[in-house]
This record gives sequence, C-alpha cells and structure tokens, in this order.
Amino acid sequence: MVKRMSRRTWLTSLPALSGVLLTGCSRETFMPPRVRGGLIGAADVLTMATNRLLQSRQPLAREYHRSDIADPFPTWNQTNPRNAEYQRHLSERFREWQLPVGGLVHRPASLSLDELRSLPARTQITAHVCEQGWSAIGEWTGVPLQLVIDAAGGVLPAARYAVVDTWDGWYEGYDLFEVAHPQTILAYGLNGRDLPTGNGAPLRLRVERQCGYKNLKFVRSIQVVDTMAGFGKGTGGINSDFGFHWFAGV
Amino acid sequence: MRISHWINLIACVYLVVSGVHIFLDFPELYWGHTGYRGYPAAFKLADWGLSWEAAGAIGDRRWGRNYHFTVAWVFLINGAIYVGWNVYQRHFRWQSFGYAGNGSYNSLQKTTYLLLIFVYVPLMILTGLAQSPGFTAAMPALLDMFGGRQSARTLHTIGTVLLLLFVVVHVAEIVRAGFLTKVRSMVTGQ
Repeated sequence: MVKRMSRRTWLTSLPALSGVLLTGCSRETFMPPRVRGGLIGAADVLTMATNRLLQSRQPLAREYHRSDIADPFPTWNQTNPRNAEYQRHLSERFREWQLPVGGLVHRPASLSLDELRSLPARTQITAHVCEQGWSAIGEWTGVPLQLVIDAAGGVLPAARYAVVDTWDGWYEGYDLFEVAHPQTILAYGLNGRDLPTGNGAPLRLRVERQCGYKNLKFVRSIQVVDTMAGFGKGTGGINSDFGFHWFAGV
Repeated sequence: MRISHWINLIACVYLVVSGVHIFLDFPELYWGHTGYRGYPAAFKLADWGLSWEAAGAIGDRRWGRNYHFTVAWVFLINGAIYVGWNVYQRHFRWQSFGYAGNGSYNSLQKTTYLLLIFVYVPLMILTGLAQSPGFTAAMPALLDMFGGRQSARTLHTIGTVLLLLFVVVHVAEIVRAGFLTKVRSMVTGQ
C-alpha cells in the first residue's frame, strides 16, 4: 500500500512539478481545485497538467470559416431559466440587466450590457464541443473575460479563480490561466445577431479549450476568489460537484 | 513483461466498456467538423433498432468519461513501458517477435501484432485526442489529420469495432494453438 501510494504521488506530482519548473505558474494551472482520490484523481492531474504544458503559450483554438457555421445554432439543456428576475429582464430586453464583477478585484463594479458592448470586442468562429460527443460551429462576439475583470480594477494578489454563476443556478470556477486566454470571452452575440435566449441570452461564457459544460449560459455574475472551498461541494464547479471532470479539456 | 499483457487486457476491457457507455449517450456518428442531433448523420444507432432514449438509458457517460480518461493513462503508461522494454531487448526484430516459449505463430500473425502496436494503437490515441478541445487547441493538426472532430469520433468508434474483431480472432488463434498451453506460457513464461 505504501508503495502504491508513493507511486501515485509520484505520478501525480511529476507533471505538475515539471510544469511549475517550466513556466513558473502556480498549482492552480496544473491541478483541479480539489483533486479526487485514487487513480481517477491522478489521471485528472496528468490530463490537466499535460494540456496546460502543451498550452503554455496560450495557443488559440481553431477558428473556422463562415461557411462552417451552424445557423440556427443547436440548443441544449436549459433554454429559458424560470427565475422570475431573469424573466423580468428578458421581457425588458435586458435594459436594466447588470453584470456584477466582485470579489478579489480592486474596484468591484457592475456593468450594463451597453457598457460590456463598449469594451473592446472579439469575434471568433469556433467549435462548441459537447462532452456528450456533438459539436457545432458558431460565430461568437463578446468581450474578453480578462478585460471585464480589468474593468473592475484587475485582480488582487490572492486571486486564484474567477467564479461565474448563472440565472439557471449553475456555477463554475476558472483558473486565471483560462481567464487570461484571448478566446475566453463573455459573448453577447451569436452568428451576427444578439445571443438568442436558447443559447444563453444576454451573455454566455466561451471557454474554447474546454467542453461545452464549462461554457456557461445565462451569466449572472463574476466573482474573483482565492479558493473554491465555499462554493457548492467545494470541487470547483457544479459539473464536478456532479462527478464530471473539473478540467474539461478532454 | 508478460504482466503488461494482462494489465493491457484489463485496461482495454475498461476502455471498451467505458467507450461504449460514452457512445450510447450520444448514439449517432457524423463526418467532418460538425455533428449534432438533427444534423445529417453517417450512422444512427436508432436505424439498428435501439432508440436514442433506450440507448441513453443504458449509457452512463459520467462513469464512462471518468473511467475512459483514467484508464487511457494506464493503457498509455503500460504500453510505453512494454514497447520501451521490447525495443531495449530488441524484441521487435522479425525473427524473434512473439511471446515466450513459442515457435508456432505464423508471419501473418506477427504482421498483425506489429500493425496493432505500431499503427492501430497510435491511430486510436490520435483519433481520441482529436476529439478533445484542449489537445486540439494545442495541436490543431489533429483536426486536419482526420478531416474534423466528428470524423475522428467516427473513426475512433470503427476502431473499437475492429478491436473487438481482433479479440475474437486472437482468442480463436490461441484456442487453435492450444489454449491452455498458450495461456500458461503467457502467465508463467514457460
């Protein structure tokens, strides 16, 4: 047993250790907030660390041509949150809707849709890759998440994760490496139009290097934190609370 | 090194079972970069008598994904040790290829084993990685190699069927060559 544990520890720590040596990044870049027990946890770390080593220069996910776009874009799971406040915003076409950006940032802020649109925008034609096996290509327009956090003064030194929560009761944590990626955007447009309700209006997250379930729809707020311990079961996101991978790069 | 065969067997059983679970939760295959429910499919399990809902009731993709991506590492590390050791031992030379204590495998069988290790396994790894948004962001050539993410998924599934056919033939060969003798030689080396 002692021998097995030591081998597992070795397997677990080697890629992360080499990653830290190579890029000088923190633990959060190579391991989920809470590493699961046993072989599954060791494999989680190997998978995430390998991905992050290969992605250390923040390469862009493949961007496609207009002719590849799926229009209408398929909808899945929640297509219209029942939350009363959301329904009011929807009926008012999100006029009063605001995105609070708080937690470990220098100047907590609240941004309207117009304010988000006035920030530098990015348009990308990328594949939405669902962990179930389907994939579809859409043209997403939005503002990089990093710029939104910068609009709130940027993160404090203790910051480790950005937590996104949604009008349909989902939440997910993203490490700052993922936040910093240029294609990590809060999208308000899809295929040249406002983001449709079924695809997460008025704002959804695009995390192009991870599976669909990390691309939360109906974004409600952004909170920067030092630990994921206080959220849900503490695994770092609602999907990992349910037993799915926290790092959804595969 | 015989133990690597049995680790490999357990890993492959887990990979196939978990892979089938993942597939059953989305039992259609497509060609190209795009594929979703409603998009023209290359293969629908429903056409073969198992409806989407019935397949989904059997398939558990959460279990499937957790085990598939865990056992993939076991398979990979075990395989790397196996190949590394045999290269070191110069085991892959044509005349000496085969397992301990035998002279009874013919050249067709030897060719099959070499193709399996050096062509089939790399293709299965690559078609698997080509479905991953993380690996394809780092290595976009994976997408071009197979003509798209959905093509890679389809080829990965065809590869699974080929593996099952191989197992049938492999076991039949062993039975023909004397099942007990061969299994004993794979366990004991005698």
